[in-house]
Amino acid sequence: MHWFESELVLLDQLAELYLKSQQQSGTDIVNVSEDIRIKRGRFIGALQSIVNKVVNLNGINACAAYHEGLVLAYAEAMPNIDALGVMIQESVNVTQQSARILKLGDIQQIVIVGAVNKVAMLSVGPVVLCIVCSNAINLASVLSQENEA
Amino acid sequence: MNSNVKPFEIRKTQVSEIDQILRNLMSIQGVSAAAIVDNEGLVTHIHRDFEINTDAIGASVQVVFGAASRAALHVGHHVTNLVICENAEGFILAMPIDAGFMLALVTERDALLGRVRFELKETIPVLKKLFASYLLK
Repeated sequence: MHWFESELVLLDQLAELYLKSQQQSGTDIVNVSEDIRIKRGRFIGALQSIVNKVVNLNGINACAAYHEGLVLAYAEAMPNIDALGVMIQESVNVTQQSARILKLGDIQQIVIVGAVNKVAMLSVGPVVLCIVCSNAINLASVLSQENEA
Repeated sequence: MNSNVKPFEIRKTQVSEIDQILRNLMSIQGVSAAAIVDNEGLVTHIHRDFEINTDAIGASVQVVFGAASRAALHVGHHVTNLVICENAEGFILAMPIDAGFMLALVTERDALLGRVRFELKETIPVLKKLFASYLLK
């Protein structure tokens, strides 16, 4: 498993821990609140970290994370950041509808390949991680590069 | 039999947790003020990193939210969950908590709207519970 896969697994685990923390019941709302806040902080921190690392890889044009179509984390300057958010939300909505009919299960990845660039969208907990790179790039290979960020 | 001390300690802890939540919201990039406003527009808790007229912000947030709620009702959208004012220099976001209390955030232009909205949406259920138990005491 290369570094990106490991980071995604970690991110998934943090997302799951966060979602579980939200389902806690009990009367000790103060401690529950603190626990939820800390777990959300860890998840967002790990998400920002992965975004920062991915954008530093050779061949990656941009990387950002979105929640319901609005930008949640990004690294460095990113042109058309809102347009990308719209594209993600539209794509996810359409795909989810078809996935239900086709019984695909929860959507994990969507890749849109254009003549010039391509966009990969990876679903992680409540957010979508979005990576933009040139059409000619082999994304899996680039993401397995040793990361020095 | 419970003494009067116990409820006081519970309230104190709840208040400190509310303060911690506001401090956490303030740590988000671009957020310059986080406040809780009561149903009369008075600010009950606030964290901010600039001089702000708390009376004015409290009253305005309630007025804006009230107007937005009525607009939502007029078009059949029922309950208003979030009001976002996009201004030349930033955003003001307001979300209802419970019993007329509201959570209001003031942000700079460079704030990540998705991040702020995500934190707000995730924070409100917890604040609702904190307020529900706080108001019951």
